[in-house]
Amino acid sequence: MATPQMVTDAKGIVKVYGSTEAVRGVDLQVSKGELYGLIGPDGAGKSSIMKIIAGVLAQDAGDVRVFGTSIDSEASAEAVKSRLGFMPQGLGLNLYADLSVEENIDFFAKLRLVPSAALKQRKAELLSMTRLKHFKDRPMKHLSGGMKQKLGLICSIIHEPELLILDEPTTGVDPVSRRDFWSILHSLIQDRGITALVSTAYLDEADRFTRVALLHRGKVLLQGTPEEMRRSARGSIVSVRAEPSDEAFERLRAWTPQIERRGDSLRVFVGERFGQEAISEVTEKLSSFRIESAEATDPDLEDTFIALLRRDEAKPAAPSLISRERSVASAALAIEARDLSRVFDSFRAVDSVSFQVRSGEIFGLLGANGAGKTTVIKMLTGIIPPSSGSARVGGIDVAAAGGSVKTRLGYMSQAFSLYQDLTVLENLRLYAGIYGISGARAKRRVDEILDMADLHVFLNQLSGRLPMGVRQRLALGCALIHEPQVLFLDEPTSGVDPLGRRSFWEVIYRLAREKGVGILVTTHYMSEAEHCDHIALMYAGRAVEDASPAELKARLEKEVGRILEFSCADPYRAVELLGTNGFSGPALLGSRVRIFSKSPDADLVGIARVLALAGISHGEVRERPFTMEDVFVHRITGLEQEGAA
Amino acid sequence: MSFRRIQPARIAAIAVKEWREIVRDRLFFALAFLVPSALMIVVGYGLSLDVENIPLVIVDRDHSALSREYAYRFISARYFRFMGYASSIDELDRPIKSDRIRAVIEIPPDFEKNLIRRNPVQVRSVIDGTFPSRAQITKGYIIAINGAANLDLTAREISSLIGIPEVVAREKLQPIRIEARYLYNENIQSRWSIVPKLIMAILLMSPPFLTVIGVVREKESGSIYNIYSSDVTKSEFLIGKLAPYVGISFCNSIVLFLIATLVFQVAFKGSVPAFFFATAIYVICTTAIGLLVSVLVRTQIAAMIITIIITLLPAVLYSGLLFPISSSTPAARVIAHLLPAMYYTSIVDNIFLKGEGWAAAARGSAILGVYLAVLFFAGYSLFSKRPSR
Repeated sequence: MATPQMVTDAKGIVKVYGSTEAVRGVDLQVSKGELYGLIGPDGAGKSSIMKIIAGVLAQDAGDVRVFGTSIDSEASAEAVKSRLGFMPQGLGLNLYADLSVEENIDFFAKLRLVPSAALKQRKAELLSMTRLKHFKDRPMKHLSGGMKQKLGLICSIIHEPELLILDEPTTGVDPVSRRDFWSILHSLIQDRGITALVSTAYLDEADRFTRVALLHRGKVLLQGTPEEMRRSARGSIVSVRAEPSDEAFERLRAWTPQIERRGDSLRVFVGERFGQEAISEVTEKLSSFRIESAEATDPDLEDTFIALLRRDEAKPAAPSLISRERSVASAALAIEARDLSRVFDSFRAVDSVSFQVRSGEIFGLLGANGAGKTTVIKMLTGIIPPSSGSARVGGIDVAAAGGSVKTRLGYMSQAFSLYQDLTVLENLRLYAGIYGISGARAKRRVDEILDMADLHVFLNQLSGRLPMGVRQRLALGCALIHEPQVLFLDEPTSGVDPLGRRSFWEVIYRLAREKGVGILVTTHYMSEAEHCDHIALMYAGRAVEDASPAELKARLEKEVGRILEFSCADPYRAVELLGTNGFSGPALLGSRVRIFSKSPDADLVGIARVLALAGISHGEVRERPFTMEDVFVHRITGLEQEGAA
Repeated sequence: MSFRRIQPARIAAIAVKEWREIVRDRLFFALAFLVPSALMIVVGYGLSLDVENIPLVIVDRDHSALSREYAYRFISARYFRFMGYASSIDELDRPIKSDRIRAVIEIPPDFEKNLIRRNPVQVRSVIDGTFPSRAQITKGYIIAINGAANLDLTAREISSLIGIPEVVAREKLQPIRIEARYLYNENIQSRWSIVPKLIMAILLMSPPFLTVIGVVREKESGSIYNIYSSDVTKSEFLIGKLAPYVGISFCNSIVLFLIATLVFQVAFKGSVPAFFFATAIYVICTTAIGLLVSVLVRTQIAAMIITIIITLLPAVLYSGLLFPISSSTPAARVIAHLLPAMYYTSIVDNIFLKGEGWAAAARGSAILGVYLAVLFFAGYSLFSKRPSR
């Protein structure tokens, strides 16, 4: 017997599918009461590890102990299953679409032989806590993504397991629902003393966990508390705005590969340097440029992840710029939506949306599932006609142009299907053929795409075998084969690892800045929204804001003040106390407490006093910059409350 | 491996959930309740092995009273559908190729004159030989009609020569006569033979089809992990999961039985309880085929293709549906004996048409019971709650 406090103790887990090594020797220790996170991109091995621990997948090697029982056969796995709850990956996929919310819960409860009195009581409690009470007779298939996810949680917890295993519960859910989910999960775990093992592909969710393991290609890259992880990068991020920006970017990249563009500014990772020291190291390199601003911050987890990856496997530097041609900055409109509306039966999916995207601009469309983003894109690309309003793409009225507008635009979606059994080259040639490009022009375009998307090394590989990030670049290349001047990207980076995402965005920037392509992008990653020149938030079919990320954050700051954040022993009571003591917007973000503050200095003292009086110990209260997620959640919850009132 | 006590509450929960999913999913509902009956009606009406209504053209190059009388023998026979007279065989080339005509009778010139002069005449018949069995049967009809014509002519001749009545002359010419009586299917209608066997074929395909869709879609969606990760035992899951499909298929067998006896008017001569006892065993057995397939595959599309191959082929080729097993090739006979379809076919034949009862049911059911046990044991052993992928 291992120590009873150790809920999961796994050593050297190996899992091989055919010739693919999904898990390559992973050690994992989870103690009682922990909320343990497995973080990593698609294909990192998260699901396999979770299934092995849940006893629903046989490992190829490794000693896995759950509650001290060695899981090495079907029978031994059965012995601990009554103490486990497991929710597989896929939003609501393990639930029964034709059964109502209540019938789903009852099924799971009966499967676990929950006595009917206990079931009744727990069901009432959980339904009201998750605010699903009014929907209990609704068939599961008619629930929103966030509701499905909460129902999935109820179903996997109805028998009060000691260990709860949730595989990517937040994937594909909008940020508001995600925050809601985390706070429900936190209070459940706290109230019932449950240990939880949860995976996620969103690096920015790391702060929700007591401890995390960062996974990459079947191995643990790093393991520890979120605080420890952040420190492990040993360095800082310097955000600098320098003119001319493109040359500055080139100069810095010659010096370090860990650099990315965010709007007008460049973010550079500087190892082993902090604060002013880091800033001067960067500005020295840019001595001949006009520096407009420069500041140093702690690296976030994504920066850490990339820094670690680079240290681990010495990635080749990102592709350098091939062509030096620059489009003259033009004021031409690439996309123009004017009072665009679309009515399905009596439902207004899109409600007079207007925006403009200039050539060379990157425009982000953000919103929850069902907010109307895809319908807007479909109207702009001429797939469905608008009920009213007009759409112009590349200067042409979409309604009047009919099919000819399609030769001017490129479209790539998350569901974009490459032909998996064709090689990279064959896919590109096929798409050239589809767009009627042949002979010398086809050859030139294929070569240009291979350069642009840095695909030369993969030329003769089957596209189905490529890593997600490379596949997405190829899909992008196929969408660009006919040299469109307008590009639509519908959630292009779902499931791609941070390195892959960065090189993808690098290509996008170059398309916009060098070729003057106008780009519209939708994304679920709030950190990616920062890349856009301007952003519209969509809610219930309307576009509610349209401004640059910096402007959106500034507006929020003007409205609510700064953000103060801290960790503490009893975050629930802390939130409650701060609320009754008149602090603004207290909320629980994972295990941390956040408030808005218009006078941070006074509130720092105030918080300490309130908590000390209640005898709640707490960590350092820190001010942190706004993220796009803060903006999104604040705006959308505001609108939701308006809608409810 | 320790066997835990089976909990009826769990089996009930799984069966109820399954039932709700089936009746609420419109496509699944249709597949479960409508497709079997629809198949029975469509195939029952469409599939007939009787050779009748053969389109026939007559080329009469004599245009005499005797030639018309001879032609009329064919025209009035129920086996042929008379399409009209033609002036020469050559102009019939196209309609024969396009299947509008399958048989031609050509009566030569001077047919009457030669017969009166007692010279032999040669009537030509042309038969479409694309389907050998149909061509053989057509030839048989023509020979029989021609034989009757010869008999009548000769009898008339003798009666006028020696002055006895024609009826007596005909009797003298046919000292031995055959009287055929058909047992079990008195009118030798192929429908009587085929319709009951269709029950066999449909119950061989429909239950495994429903089962593989039901089980494999859980694998595809990931809801099977609810089962894998809980402490439900394999037996509880399998019983609860399969019970609704067995129930539905058994209800279908009652409906199919009613269609056979009421719609197609096939006489049922045996014992109803014995028939349904054997049918219940058969349905459980074919459901178990579905279980075995669904344990082995991971995608619905693969499951359906495999199910069609392993059920449709035996249903058509190795079951005695279209032709008797005893007259097939030795290899086919061995295969037929290895598959369950043949045994149920013989139960259906024996009880439906031959009027047998429990004895026939018991014989076949014993063999089907062995199948059932083997299939379930294989399915149970191969089903793992902790698979390796």
